[in-house]
Amino acid sequence: MANIQLLQQLCERQGISGNEEAVRDFIVTQVTPYADRITIDAMGNVIAEKKGANRAKTKLMLNAHMDEVGLIVTHIDSDGYLKFATVGGIDKRVLCGRSVTVGNGVPGVIGVKPIHLLKGDEKGKAVPIHDMYVDIGAANREEAERTVHLGDPVCLDSVFHVQNGMIRGRALDDRVGCAILIDMLQSDLLYDMTFVFCVQEEVGTRGSRTAAYRVQPQAALVVETTTAADIAGVPKEKHVCRLGKGAVISFMDKGTIYDRDYYTLALQTAKELQLPCQVKQAVAGGNDAGAIHVTRGGVRTVAVSLACRYLHAAMGQIALDDFHSAEKLIMKLAEQIAGSQSG
Amino acid sequence: MEQLKELLFALCTAAGTSGDEVCAAQVVKKALEPYCDVTIDHMGNVIAFMGDKQAQRQVMLDAHLDQIGMIVTQIDEDGFLHVASCGGVDRRVLPGASVTVYGKKQLTGIVCCLPPHLVEDDGSTIEPIDKMAIDIGMDKNEAEQMVALGDRIIVNGAPRALLQHRIASAAMDDRAGCAAVIRCVQLLSDKRLTCGLTLLFSSREETGSQGAKTGAFRIFPTEAIAIDVTFADQPGVPAHKCGNLGKGPMIGTSPVLDREMKDRLLHIAKDEELPYQIEVMGGATGTNADVISTTQTGVRTALISIPLRYMHTPVEVIDLEDIEHTARLMASYIHHR
Repeated sequence: MANIQLLQQLCERQGISGNEEAVRDFIVTQVTPYADRITIDAMGNVIAEKKGANRAKTKLMLNAHMDEVGLIVTHIDSDGYLKFATVGGIDKRVLCGRSVTVGNGVPGVIGVKPIHLLKGDEKGKAVPIHDMYVDIGAANREEAERTVHLGDPVCLDSVFHVQNGMIRGRALDDRVGCAILIDMLQSDLLYDMTFVFCVQEEVGTRGSRTAAYRVQPQAALVVETTTAADIAGVPKEKHVCRLGKGAVISFMDKGTIYDRDYYTLALQTAKELQLPCQVKQAVAGGNDAGAIHVTRGGVRTVAVSLACRYLHAAMGQIALDDFHSAEKLIMKLAEQIAGSQSG
Repeated sequence: MEQLKELLFALCTAAGTSGDEVCAAQVVKKALEPYCDVTIDHMGNVIAFMGDKQAQRQVMLDAHLDQIGMIVTQIDEDGFLHVASCGGVDRRVLPGASVTVYGKKQLTGIVCCLPPHLVEDDGSTIEPIDKMAIDIGMDKNEAEQMVALGDRIIVNGAPRALLQHRIASAAMDDRAGCAAVIRCVQLLSDKRLTCGLTLLFSSREETGSQGAKTGAFRIFPTEAIAIDVTFADQPGVPAHKCGNLGKGPMIGTSPVLDREMKDRLLHIAKDEELPYQIEVMGGATGTNADVISTTQTGVRTALISIPLRYMHTPVEVIDLEDIEHTARLMASYIHHR
């Protein structure tokens, strides 16, 4: 069973790309008693090596990313309002009216012009990011500058909870991957494996590039979340994947054409274990696999993802059943890859 | 101030969409019970009285209890809830928002938003509310067990303290006014009033002031003050259309408001060195004052507004000191006349 308390602890820590310390410290604490060697590289990636009962026939690296999308303070104006830029792909339409936390726990809000003062079609138009700002209640620039700093991360607030078999929370992308990897590190392994918890995925899969270079794996298993569009108003052929239908296996996305044999092996393994499993029905999105599979002379790479609704909004949603079944599939698939000769 | 903050947090935490103000009404009732007799009428208005019933001068203070929200109109075949707005909801704050559904139990929902790769325009269009849906993570059967058509939904916006004395929350419109009226009662509680004072916490302002209309008819005071919120300074709002946060209550001036009462409020504010601002409107005020003033044979009515940023969003911001000063201004007006 995947560990929901662990996931909650991970989601409650803030780690916008480039500011992953809180998540990293937590992960290091969690895995230190179980890993044989832990390296933190210059980028801030955590690389944890763990010996299994047997030596691996194929050197396997498992990957999840620690960072999450968010905002960053770019300017403080004379009235004490904070202007910001997005960090990673955040949809501007999910920002208005949100409660946020700036820097080291400073509460703020993203307000909009009152609906009563809007003209004509303004009511149905998303506010452009350059017209938005964070209000922390400061009277002026001086007061704001005493409290927050340029470059401070800004995080959208939401409350982690489980309701009717659905897990809701901020940063499920990709703390759910971190939770699964930590759980694996904390259990006995059949083969030696290396686990990397990467920084800066959301700003261009930058952490995984150096981590994969250092680890020099023959094979990589990327544990991620992927967009589920199985929501009201979307025709079935555009759902991409669905909550509650098991782990999602990708053949191709915008960053990677996945290893064909591993793709097939993943589907076959799910079948053997009688676990639900689905194929990602779109060539969309991308993840750390994009950087990993072209590292050095190339790395055979497979991605197993959890279907997640509202991926880059304040609150995402995944199915509890998927969390459990994906972890089982990932554990077995990792064994299969590490235990057989790479071609 | 700490006590006032606690009161405001309690008021903003209680749910109360138009026509379903029960939870907010209970918080108001509990806060008032040490000072006066409190009743709740069949429209959902909370009505309380203090002072002299026989006095010729009968003052009524009105603040509206209700907040904007949504109402469930349909549960679709996949268990998503479809909704209509209940009051002037700003659809720009809805995509991806976390909401509370007041069904058989309180449920958390998320307003569906399309992932970016499925957005067909440049992502700048916000769909109308009747095209949106709420995801409660249930299939149709499960949803129908928990949610009935007509149940209410509120966008989550729990109160949070910002810098200065500023507080952000959903429902600040008009729980800030409710807090000011309750604070005024506290200030008057040890005074001997020579007038009668009726407090009306009215329902359904956001859907057309039906609570204030019927409440004022029942009470029919000799004079009334409506306490609501108004636009405060914020980027994008021209200075001539708003007041300033933290610079004191805004005393309304309008053809539909009583001039003598307004002058008296201004005089008291100056006399007692209370900060105040003037809000001028050319006609109807868009508040309960509009319907209270035309009740029965007419009621002399004034309007005091608390400056508020980001009206009708889940992060409405007020300054606690403005609420305190509003309460002091009203208390002096009632006591010293």
